[in-house]
Amino acid sequence: MNTFADANKKFQKELNSGTAALVLLSILAGADEPMYGYRIAKFMEVDDENVPMMKQGALYPVLRSLEGSGLLESHVDPSVSGPPRRYYKITESGLEILKSWTQIWDQTKSFVDGILKGKADV
Amino acid sequence: MCKDVNEYLEKLKKELEGCDPALIQDALSDAEGHLRMALEEALSDKPSFSETEAMASIIEKYGHPKEIASAYRAIESRTSPALAVSRTKETRSSWARFFGVLAEPKAWGAFFYMLLSFITGLVFGGWALIAGLISLSTLVFIIGIPIFGLFLLSIRGIALLEGRIVEALLGIRMPRRPLFHNRSLSWVDKYKALVKEAYSWKALLYAVLLFPLGIIYCGVFSLLLVFSLCFIISPVLELVFRIPLDLFGDNVFTPIWFLPVVCIAGFFLLPLTFHLARWVGKVHGKYAKSMLVRA
Repeated sequence: MNTFADANKKFQKELNSGTAALVLLSILAGADEPMYGYRIAKFMEVDDENVPMMKQGALYPVLRSLEGSGLLESHVDPSVSGPPRRYYKITESGLEILKSWTQIWDQTKSFVDGILKGKADV
Repeated sequence: MCKDVNEYLEKLKKELEGCDPALIQDALSDAEGHLRMALEEALSDKPSFSETEAMASIIEKYGHPKEIASAYRAIESRTSPALAVSRTKETRSSWARFFGVLAEPKAWGAFFYMLLSFITGLVFGGWALIAGLISLSTLVFIIGIPIFGLFLLSIRGIALLEGRIVEALLGIRMPRRPLFHNRSLSWVDKYKALVKEAYSWKALLYAVLLFPLGIIYCGVFSLLLVFSLCFIISPVLELVFRIPLDLFGDNVFTPIWFLPVVCIAGFFLLPLTFHLARWVGKVHGKYAKSMLVRA
C-alpha cells in the first residue's frame, strides 16, 4: 500500500516539476499587479482545507529560477507586518515563452487525453 | 514535527548542509518570510489554535524541510548563475582560445566589473568610511547607539547589492535574499545580534577595502585598454595624424620598422587584458563570497 502511495507521490512530484514554471508564469501573466510569493501560494490553494497539489515551499526556487532566466523581474518592498516582500512581475520574454509553452502544454494534454481515452491515432 | 518557525529553519539549514552558502541563505529567507506570514494569518483566523497546531498545518502545505531542501537542490542544479558558461569540453585551438576571450560574455562581464568597481568602491567604501566614522563618533551620546545600528544595517544592504553585482558580472552565485532576524527577538537582542555577528564586520571590511581595490582595478584595466588600443592604431596615429606615441621619450616618433611590432603587440595585449580581467574577476568573486555570504 505504501509503495502505491509512494509511487503516486513520486508521479505527482515529477508532473509538478515540469508544470510549476508554466503555472507560475500563467498566474503572473493574469495578475493586475506584481505578486509576492506568499500571495501566489495562497492563490494556488484550490481549497483551504486540502493540501495543495504543489508544496508551497517548492514554488520559491522556481520563481527565483524564472527570474534568473529573465522571464520574471522582481523588486523588494518593505512590509509593515513582517520582513520586506519580493514582488514578481512577468517580463516581455516571459509572456512570449508562456505563449509557446501553453501551445506545448495543449498538445501534450490532448495527446495524453487521447491515449487515456483510447482514441489516439497511434 | 517543528514547534515553531525557528525549529523549522534549523532543520531546513541542516537538510541543506553542503549546499552553496548563498543558496542556503536564500532558502532560509524564503521559508522565514512565508512561514511567519502564514503563522500570523493562521493565528488571527483561529485564535484558539496554539502555535504548534498552526505550524503543523502550515508545514503540511509549505513542505517538510527535507522536501523543500530537495526542491532547492533540484532547481539549483538546473540553474546556473547569470552569465555562467557551461562546462563543455574545450575543443578550440590555443590561438582560438586566446583571441576567443574577446567574444566571451564572462570576460566582458569581469572587465566591466573592474571599471565599475571604481564607482562602487567610491560609493560603498566612501559610505563605510565616512558614515562609519560619524556614527562611531556619535556613540558617546545615547542617540549614537541607534545611529550605529542603522549604519550596520546600511552596510548589510550594501553587501547584498554588491553581491548582486558580483553575481551578474562575475557569474559567482551570491545571496539573492536578505536573511532576517528572528521577529520574536526583542529590539535589544536584534541589536546585539547585529553587532555581534561576524557577517556585519566582514561586510564592513569588504566595503572599506573595495575603495582602494576599485581604484586599482579601474586604473590598471583602463590603462591596459588604452595601451592596447593605442598600440593597435599606432600606424594610423603616427603616419596619418602625425601624433607620436612617445614610446622612446618626449615627442619622438616610433621608427617605421618598429610600428608593425607595436601594432601586433597591441593585438596581443587586448585579449591578454581580458584574460587577466577574467582571472582577477574569478579571484575577486571567491573573495566576495567569503566575505559577503552569511549562512
